[in-house]
Amino acid sequence: MGSLVLKDLAIHYDRQVVVEDFNLAIGEGEMAALLGPSGAGKTTILKAVAGLLAPTRGDILIDGRAVNTLPPEKRDVVMVFQKPLLFPFMNVAQNIAFGLKMRGDGSERRRTAVSRILELTRLEGLGGRKVHALSGGQQQRVALARALVLEPAVLLMDEPLSNLDANLRQEMRELILSIQSELKITTLFVTHDQSEALMMAQRLALLLGGRLRQAGTPQDLFHRPADPEVARFFGGGNFFKGRLQGGVFECALGRLPVSAASGNGHVRTATIRPEDIQLTLDAAGRPGGLAGRVVRTRFEGTATRAWIECDVHEVMVLTAAGELTLGQEVRLHFPPEKIRVFPEDKASE
Amino acid sequence: MDRAETGVDARTRRGTGGMPLAMLLLPALAVTVLLFGGGLALGVLQALGYLPGAGLTRLTGAHFIRVLSDPDFFLSFGITLYVSVVSTLLAAGISVIAALVLDRLAGQYRPVHFIFQLPLTVPHLVIAVAVMFLLAPAGLLARIAVAVGLIQTPAEFPLLVNDRWSVGIILTYVWKEIPFITLMLLAVLRNTGRDLIDVGRTLKASAWQRFRHITLPTLFPALGAASLIVFAYTFGAFEVPYLLGRTHPMTLPVRAYKDYSDIDLMARPEGIATGLLIALVVAAAVVIAQALTRAARRRGIVI
Repeated sequence: MGSLVLKDLAIHYDRQVVVEDFNLAIGEGEMAALLGPSGAGKTTILKAVAGLLAPTRGDILIDGRAVNTLPPEKRDVVMVFQKPLLFPFMNVAQNIAFGLKMRGDGSERRRTAVSRILELTRLEGLGGRKVHALSGGQQQRVALARALVLEPAVLLMDEPLSNLDANLRQEMRELILSIQSELKITTLFVTHDQSEALMMAQRLALLLGGRLRQAGTPQDLFHRPADPEVARFFGGGNFFKGRLQGGVFECALGRLPVSAASGNGHVRTATIRPEDIQLTLDAAGRPGGLAGRVVRTRFEGTATRAWIECDVHEVMVLTAAGELTLGQEVRLHFPPEKIRVFPEDKASE
Repeated sequence: MDRAETGVDARTRRGTGGMPLAMLLLPALAVTVLLFGGGLALGVLQALGYLPGAGLTRLTGAHFIRVLSDPDFFLSFGITLYVSVVSTLLAAGISVIAALVLDRLAGQYRPVHFIFQLPLTVPHLVIAVAVMFLLAPAGLLARIAVAVGLIQTPAEFPLLVNDRWSVGIILTYVWKEIPFITLMLLAVLRNTGRDLIDVGRTLKASAWQRFRHITLPTLFPALGAASLIVFAYTFGAFEVPYLLGRTHPMTLPVRAYKDYSDIDLMARPEGIATGLLIALVVAAAVVIAQALTRAARRRGIVI
């Protein structure tokens, strides 16, 4: 177990800025996710922490000690890569024992540790198997076991589930969570899948364009996004420009009461998540709200995504209400506590 | 899914347009079978003593027996094996180092990579002649050694061509085969090796441990396959030892050629029998190389 602090980290390739001014602190035993779209610089940060590439500026501190100048083999960090990258010329047990052997652990100690980790990763009985004879999920579990057996201060995982199919991914998520809660290894994992990050992490950092946009709990980022881009990344689709004054947000949709009381009448951006909008099918059923007409729908299994035209504006709604038909008249209700008005300086919309 | 896969398999077996695959391959197969198989069959027949032009029509294994019972054959076999093994081992060893260096440098110095590939385009014979001009007692190195005062006359220069230890032959093969083996190793390093090295680094392996426990085992199948191909070539090649080798003992290919082109037609079956024995060794090396390549691919190593 160890803490990980990344301070003012900047990573440049040649003259291209990949990561800039990145700050993140992960407490002992915490499970944190680095989330962002492809090319945002997530893997680059992970590799810098692992020591596989040198940051241009900034500090990487493990347990309070700067490790910038230490080579990967001297850092108490182990990385699980996107692909399992098992050694093809070794069997499962030899792969898992590799790090222990390199560290100089004796054969008896290695045997005990491997057998324990095989059990923990549900790979009992597969120790003698050739790695090419394993399924994708099993291979990824071996890669995880190979990292865990070293009991590093910090475990890094670079999209470890991205090559697995949906069912296997869910199974692996549960396995990683249960192992992490048992071993309490400080873990930083990278993913571009927001649902995976929300589900697994205790702490979340969103990276967009090489810069940290917001860090906090999954609930913070999901319900209280710092700016419209963060909101958009987490599936937000309704952004309105208007003026906030006296607890009312006045925009093209009308005067929407909001829970944010402050406001000086300057132009601000507000958002509401599609699932937070209440939709009533019968226009005459519930008074108030905003009248609109269904212009497009998409069935998503447990809910239906619908685009409602209100005057000249389109509002996206996610509703579990029955089947919607094109042209159907509906009413939309915006709960004040669900409307998020972004601070002035972040309102880029 | 199953049905789709079965469909694909069936199409592959049948070929396109309903024509069986074998039929589509027939033109290419016919040329190969006729030229290679026909030549081989004729060779076997002649090695077995079927030479109607010389009045020999009875099939016999006597020529093989005569070749194998000649003490000179084993001397030739020994020198051929020595030249092939030493040049292959030297080329393989240097290639491992060269591949590792090129893998690091190629990104920064692309011309180095290009220059390294140049020997591949030069025929063995041209290199053999170059080595002759370079290493012969009256060659360039001897003259330079005299010019700088290392030796008094070119005759004092050590014998490196047509010499006892086949230095000239080995140097020619090493110079020529290093790029071939290196390029095969580079492909493995680029496709699989770099990632595994990174894994090794995060798993606490030192530089030496990474080389010993990751790089070498990763390279081994490609190194083995490439080395066996080089061994097979050097074992069966004629022109370089013919030009740079001693007259006694001569390498097996030179011996086979001499017997085959002997003015005495009766020596021809022995020449061909020697050639077939060489072919046997070469074929065994190629089969082992193929097996190594297949095994490596099964294990996910890209060659």
